Amino acid sequence: MLYNNKLNKLQERGYRMSTKPKLSMYWASSCGGCEVSLVNINEKILDLAANFDFYFCPCLLDTKKKDIEALEDGEIAITFFNGAIRTSENEEMAHLMREKSKILIAFGSCSYEGCIPALSNLHTKAAHFKSIYLDNPTVDNPHGIVPKTETEVPEGTLAIPAFYESVRTLSQVTDVDYSIPGCPPEPKQVWGVIEAVIQGKALPPKGSSLGAGNSTVCRECERKKEDKKITRFYRTWEIIPDTQACLLDQGLICMGIATADGCGALCPKVNMPCTGCYGPPVGTLDQGAKMVAALGAIIDIGEKKGLSEDELVRCVDHIIDSIPDYSGTFYKYSLAGSILGGKRG
Amino acid sequence: MKIGVYFCNCGSNISDKVDSEQVRQVIETMGDVAYFKTNDLMCSDDGKAFLHEDIAAENPDRIVIAACSPREHENTFMRVLTGVGMNPYLMQMANIREQVAWVTDDIGEASLKAATLIKGAVKRVGFHKPLEKKSIDMSPDVLVIGAGPAGLKAALTIAETGRKVVIVEKRPVIGGQPVLYEEVFPNLECAPCMLEPMLNDILHGEHAVNIEILTLSEVVELTGFYGNFIAKVKKTPRYVDLHQCIGCGECIGVCPVDVKNECNNGLDGRKAISLSFAGALPNVPFIDMSACLRARDEECRLCEQSCPLGDGIILYGDVQETVERHIGAVIVAVGASLYDAGLIPKLGYGRVPDVYTSIEFERLLSSTGPTGGQLTTRSGRQPKSIAIIHCVGSLDANHKEYCSGVCCQSAFKFNLMAGHKLHETRIYHLYKELVYPGKEEFFLYKRARENPNAAFIRYQNIDRLMITEEEDGIMIENTLSVDGSIKADMVVLCAALAPAKDTGKLNEVLDTTADTYGFFEELHGRLDSARSKVRGIYIAGACQSPMNIQQAITQGMAAAGYVLSGLVEGKQLDIEPITASVDTDRCSGCRVCMLLCPYRAIGFDDDSRKSSVNEVLCQGCGTCVAACPAGAISGNHFTNEAIYAEIEGVLA
Repeated sequence: MLYNNKLNKLQERGYRMSTKPKLSMYWASSCGGCEVSLVNINEKILDLAANFDFYFCPCLLDTKKKDIEALEDGEIAITFFNGAIRTSENEEMAHLMREKSKILIAFGSCSYEGCIPALSNLHTKAAHFKSIYLDNPTVDNPHGIVPKTETEVPEGTLAIPAFYESVRTLSQVTDVDYSIPGCPPEPKQVWGVIEAVIQGKALPPKGSSLGAGNSTVCRECERKKEDKKITRFYRTWEIIPDTQACLLDQGLICMGIATADGCGALCPKVNMPCTGCYGPPVGTLDQGAKMVAALGAIIDIGEKKGLSEDELVRCVDHIIDSIPDYSGTFYKYSLAGSILGGKRG
Repeated sequence: MKIGVYFCNCGSNISDKVDSEQVRQVIETMGDVAYFKTNDLMCSDDGKAFLHEDIAAENPDRIVIAACSPREHENTFMRVLTGVGMNPYLMQMANIREQVAWVTDDIGEASLKAATLIKGAVKRVGFHKPLEKKSIDMSPDVLVIGAGPAGLKAALTIAETGRKVVIVEKRPVIGGQPVLYEEVFPNLECAPCMLEPMLNDILHGEHAVNIEILTLSEVVELTGFYGNFIAKVKKTPRYVDLHQCIGCGECIGVCPVDVKNECNNGLDGRKAISLSFAGALPNVPFIDMSACLRARDEECRLCEQSCPLGDGIILYGDVQETVERHIGAVIVAVGASLYDAGLIPKLGYGRVPDVYTSIEFERLLSSTGPTGGQLTTRSGRQPKSIAIIHCVGSLDANHKEYCSGVCCQSAFKFNLMAGHKLHETRIYHLYKELVYPGKEEFFLYKRARENPNAAFIRYQNIDRLMITEEEDGIMIENTLSVDGSIKADMVVLCAALAPAKDTGKLNEVLDTTADTYGFFEELHGRLDSARSKVRGIYIAGACQSPMNIQQAITQGMAAAGYVLSGLVEGKQLDIEPITASVDTDRCSGCRVCMLLCPYRAIGFDDDSRKSSVNEVLCQGCGTCVAACPAGAISGNHFTNEAIYAEIEGVLA
């Protein structure tokens, strides 16, 4: 409530000072963490409000869709668009925000690469509806009702947005200028982007990632790395890792090696392996494939000489079997945006 | 960007199945291609002249040649490009012969497939960058580790071209294993007579000035890379001046200390200052400081006082030192050892007297051996019968699965040599398998067979042999044979050849690899058995695989050949431009790549915490490129962009 009051006041000031460029933030299929990340720039929000007319943000402000529709094309200077494209409403808003914004930024992992919602791409829409509405022990649905875009009722036709077959990223439905990775993006990095715009710095080429480095999380991680040879993997509950040594060296699947830097290696700092939320490093198309290629290179099955092909396969399988949930591990954030994309058909 | 496509009919090899007109129509719809030309046989002189003139006239930025496998003619066409002044890496071949014309029956399908491959090549070639070969200074000199036949032959061959060779030998003598033998198979040639000319050439021949011999020495560190290695060699003091000593042996006679002679497997004694055996080269004694009285603070100077050359020959103040040598290549020729027969306890080795290994038996047969060549048992009797056991530890999953190939020949040699010395002595060959491949080896077997005192008995499994000491000799029970047991006065165990004791350690020092059995691993078993997997380190002789002297000498020559053709004196070392390179800006220091390189080309800088690829060692295989999770390593000529473009071109 405090945010809302503060922001409403700012917004009123904004309305009065309409010469300021408009800034908006929209959420599609997401959890709301991105909005929290924005307000976590703390007192800098005042600087933001001093420089921008914070115009639209359904989570924080009362501006409505019709207010956006009323704007001229390109009237909003910057839109932070978070959330994946799951429904027809998400897509409609994506097109609208594109039309009304000079710069459209995919903000956060869902919008940038699909994130958790996109793991649903491993199943069909029908399968989702079945497990959510029909085969769910906590749901009592004797008539087998599942959502439909149009439902006839005595008063007329009710319409709800369509649930798509699969989740897409923002750039898969509309033209996107930049992306800010992270689940959620680090407030420091978010402010860095806003500050650069305020200071009038030259923007990088269209399509670039903002608020991330050009290397991987390992660069920001102070742990001691060794030449890598991994004989088995552990899940986080199985061991208490040493606090100084590289987590991957200890057999925890730390996605840091295949994840863009920029977060400050927050998770490894508190003894938790990176799960990869900053997405693929610059120039890498498929984070999960990169991780698998790297693990394939460092898995050590011990003495290989003299083993038959079958025995080699068994040794490799034995190690791989200690990795749970391949897609949830390697594509936790990047499935929709990856080459793999998800399960087809 | 102007891209031209050249379509080769390859006589009728391609044109029979691929319709160039159909292909042209598909390619022209791409919009990326400036022109499409066909030629009947582009690798012919006429074809190459056409390509040359056409490139000169069209002046394209990139070209695609749709023809045979690049394995066949990529170099041919690259030379044409170089000749016409176009960077040869700005060309991409589409293999429409092996991959299309020869394997696709339907003309329509083949033409479509060819067009598809050409589309990929056109998309890809736009990402090709002009690459240049680089060159660096290098040393033409060579380090040879091991002074056996393989190492010495290599050293001599290289020294003959005027290059410097450093030979490092662990023992005080050169000549390797065969200098310990009296005769060598298959012709029972006198071993010292056979080797002496080569050893003499090494020590005193026309090119000896180019050869530095470091005896009692071992390589402890090797850094650098092909063309520019630095070797650190630890020299154990000999305490005798290798160059001034004339080898008269006066000092040996006066030495008051007797110790067992390890060179004769402890079967006789030697002095604290001694030669390994009569005729050992270099003909300069060494002091065994572990035995010398001076090591026990006794003020003995008998050897020094006896020296007819006076002071300065015996060097009590000699100390261990480490020397460095700058070389361009390394030849490893450290030989092999016998498999430890003690690991098959039933054979009685070390427990039953007069059970000998084949090398101990060689010394018993040798005129420089512990008995002066007299074949007698430990109790001094002439043996009435000798049992020679083949395949000790060979062809046996519990020991060594392979056949060493040389032990049978040794065994046949023992048969004949023993027969020459003792006419009445009975010889038993107990064998699992007999082998005698080669154009000369069969005759030795035949002669051994024809020895009227010889008997050949096959056993199934060495575990079935039980050797025990009896009052009147040795009992060999073959529990599975109908022949039952055999009595013998001597037993010779022809054990498998196994890696020499310090092979593993040396592998670590050199960063080379070992094979399944611990031998030095070759780059390719048939095509490149004299090359290790590290560029510039070659392997020769029994350290690579069990082999005979002839094979070791040949492999020594092969190693020398690699050195002579690769490190050409007065020239610089060419570096192929298709290598991997690390974008240090993006490398995160995660060390995923560190253990992957089969050529040991990746290094890590601890200060900057970045990997780097040594482009001299890199062979451009792309393993690290695929593995680098940061995408910081890229492969020249095979960049991700080019590969993705090629895939997209094919799928378009």
